[in-house]
Amino acid sequence: MLNFYEVFYRFLEGPHISEMDYDLDFDQKLRDTVTKYGIKYDPQNPIPQDDQMADNVFAAGLEFYEKIGTYCIDTLRVATFTKREILEALAEAPSEPVFGTDKDAKKLIARPPESDLPPWFFIGAAGAAVTDERVLAAIVEGYGQVPYGNSITTPSITKINGRPIIAKTPLEVLGSIRTVEVSKAALRKAGRAGMPIMNAISTATSDAAKIAGSQFGLNPADGIMVGSMSELKMDFQRLNEVAYALHCGSNIVAESGPLLGGYCGGPEGLAVANVAYHLQSILVQRGTVHFTFPIHFKFSSNTSRNTLWSTSISNQGISRNSKFPLLTSGILASGPGTEMSFYENAARTITTCVSGGGILALGLAKNVQTDHLTPWDPKFSVEIALSTLGMKRQDANEIVKELLSKYESKIPEAPIGKRFQELFDMETLEPGNEYRELYYKMKDEMKTYGLKFAT
Amino acid sequence: MSEAKIIENLKEAIIELDEVKVVEAAKNLIDQGIDPLVAIEKGLSAGMTAIGDKFNIGECFLPELIRAGNTFNAGIKVLEPEIAKSGAKQSQTGVFVLGTVTGDVHKIGKEILAMLLKTRGFVVHDLGEDVSLSTFVSKAEELNADIIGMSALLTTTMPAQKEVIEFLKEKGIRDNFRVMIGGGPVNQKWADEIGADGYAETAEEAVRLAMKLMDTK
Repeated sequence: MLNFYEVFYRFLEGPHISEMDYDLDFDQKLRDTVTKYGIKYDPQNPIPQDDQMADNVFAAGLEFYEKIGTYCIDTLRVATFTKREILEALAEAPSEPVFGTDKDAKKLIARPPESDLPPWFFIGAAGAAVTDERVLAAIVEGYGQVPYGNSITTPSITKINGRPIIAKTPLEVLGSIRTVEVSKAALRKAGRAGMPIMNAISTATSDAAKIAGSQFGLNPADGIMVGSMSELKMDFQRLNEVAYALHCGSNIVAESGPLLGGYCGGPEGLAVANVAYHLQSILVQRGTVHFTFPIHFKFSSNTSRNTLWSTSISNQGISRNSKFPLLTSGILASGPGTEMSFYENAARTITTCVSGGGILALGLAKNVQTDHLTPWDPKFSVEIALSTLGMKRQDANEIVKELLSKYESKIPEAPIGKRFQELFDMETLEPGNEYRELYYKMKDEMKTYGLKFAT
Repeated sequence: MSEAKIIENLKEAIIELDEVKVVEAAKNLIDQGIDPLVAIEKGLSAGMTAIGDKFNIGECFLPELIRAGNTFNAGIKVLEPEIAKSGAKQSQTGVFVLGTVTGDVHKIGKEILAMLLKTRGFVVHDLGEDVSLSTFVSKAEELNADIIGMSALLTTTMPAQKEVIEFLKEKGIRDNFRVMIGGGPVNQKWADEIGADGYAETAEEAVRLAMKLMDTK
C-alpha cells in the first residue's frame, strides 16, 4: 500500500481544480457510475437481497473512487489513485485490529451479511452534546455498563468551568483534555478500565485540541477518530491528525458521513459514495476501522426508508468484498423516552446487523439536542442486534417494513423526547419508572414481530 | 415563435439544466424585441422556482440546484446588456449574506440554502466556511445586505453566532440587518437568547423565514 506521505505528496502535487468544479465533477461521475452499473433504489425492499447488486455497488464505488479521488481544500488539488493502488490498499488494510487493553482487549473483525457472529458494539451517541462534566461522567459510566459493549464514544461537553466552550480557543483544549480524563475515570468506575474509547475527543474541532486531549489518558489501543469532510474531502488539519496517530502507533477510526440529497444525490449515489469512503478511509485516513453514517440531508437522521436501503446495500457490498472492518452509526430523528425512538432504533439496528459490519449505537434526536441520550437506548440496540444473529435478509426486510409503518410518516415532526436527567437517576444510573416501563413494553412488542430475546 | 413560447423555453431550459437551450432562447428573445425583465420574471425565475419546488419534494437534489443556478446565470449574461440599454432595474427579493461561522467547516446544508434562496429571487453572497466575525460584518456592510445568515453545526461554534450579533450592536448597526441562524444544535431558544431575528431548522423553512423577514424591512 502507498505509505501515508506518498499519499500526502499527491495533495501537494496533484492537479488543481476549484472546489465547485470538484463538487460538480463528483456529481456527474457518480451519476454516470450509478447508470453504468444499473443500480436502482427499490423502496419496497429497504433491505435488498440481491448479492449481485451488492457486488455491483462495491465495484461501482471502486471505479468511482478511482475516477474522482480525494480533494484537499487547503491546496485545491486532487489526489487520485490507480485501480492497482486501491486494490493493494484493500488487500493490505487491517483485517483484525485489536482495540482495548487487558481483559477489555478484543479483535474487531469484518462481519458478512446474515452473519451469526455478534457485531462489534460501539456504544454512545457520537459527538452528541452534554451539558458538563457531571453529565458526561454519568453517561460514560452508563455506557460502560451496557452488556456486550465493546467500545465507547464520548459525548461532547458544552461547558467548562461554567462557561460555554468556544471552538479554536483554550477552552476547547481544556474541554478536550477533561473529556478524556473524566471518561477514563468513569469507565474505571464501571469496571471497564480497558474498554477502548474510539472517539474520546468529540469536543475537539481542531487538531491541536484533539492531540492535546489524547495526551491525557488515551493509549494507542483506544482510537483517534479522523473524519472526512463531505464529500470525499480532507484538509491539513485532518491530515495532521493522521500523521500524529500514525507516529503514536494509535488505532485510527476513519469517519465518514455521506449526505443523501447533497452531492451524492439520491439513495443509489449515497450507496456508491459510501463504498468510495470505505476506500478513502484506508488510503487517506489510514484507518484501523471505517466508521460511517450515511445521513438524510433534510431529516438529519438515517432511519428513513431511502437511507436504510443505501446503508443496507452498501454495507452488503462492502462486507462481501472487503476484510477491512466497518462500523455504521444509527442516528434517530426522535429522542429518548419516546415510542418512536424504539421503532427507529430497531429498524436501523436490524438493517445494519443483517447487512454486515458492526454498529454504533446510538444517536438520538438527530444528535443535536443537549443531554438527549441515555445508556439504555444502546442497550436496546444490543438486544435487538443479538436477536437478529443469523437472520435472513428477507425475514429482516419484512420486519423492517412493519417497523417503518410505525414511524416513517412522523420523521419530519419527530418528538425530541426528554433529557437524560429527566429519565434516569443520575446517581444510580437506573431509569425512572416512565422509561423502564416503556422499554419493556417496546421489547415485548418487538417479540410480536418475531424477534427472540434471551430474557 | 410566440413570446409565450420563447418564455416557456427559458423556463424549460432551467428545469432541464440546459445552458445551450437557455442561451438560444435568450438570444431569440432579444431578436424578437421581448422585454428582458418580463422574460426573467416569467421564464428564468419561474424555472428556478420550479426547480426549488422539485427539490422540496425530493425530486431533485443539490447538484440540480447548482446546475439550475448556472443555467440561470448563462441566461442572465445574454440578457444583461439589453437590460442595461433600457435603464430598467432587475427586481430582487433581497440581498442575503451567508456563511458558516468561525471554527466550523460544514458547508453542504449552507449551500442548499444558498441555492434555494436563489430560486426565490434572493441575491446570495456565500462567504464560505470558517467565516470570521469581521468578515461577516464587513461584507454585510459592503454589500448592503438585507439579511445575514449564520450556520453553526457544532455546539462549540454556536457562540460565534452570538459574537457577530454583539459586534453589530456595539458598532451601532444591528438594526441595519435582519439576522438568521441555523445549524444542527441551534434552536429557537438559542436564537431568542442571542437576539437573532429568526431560526429555521431546515433550508425550506429558512427560505420562508427570509421572505417573511424581508416583509419587515
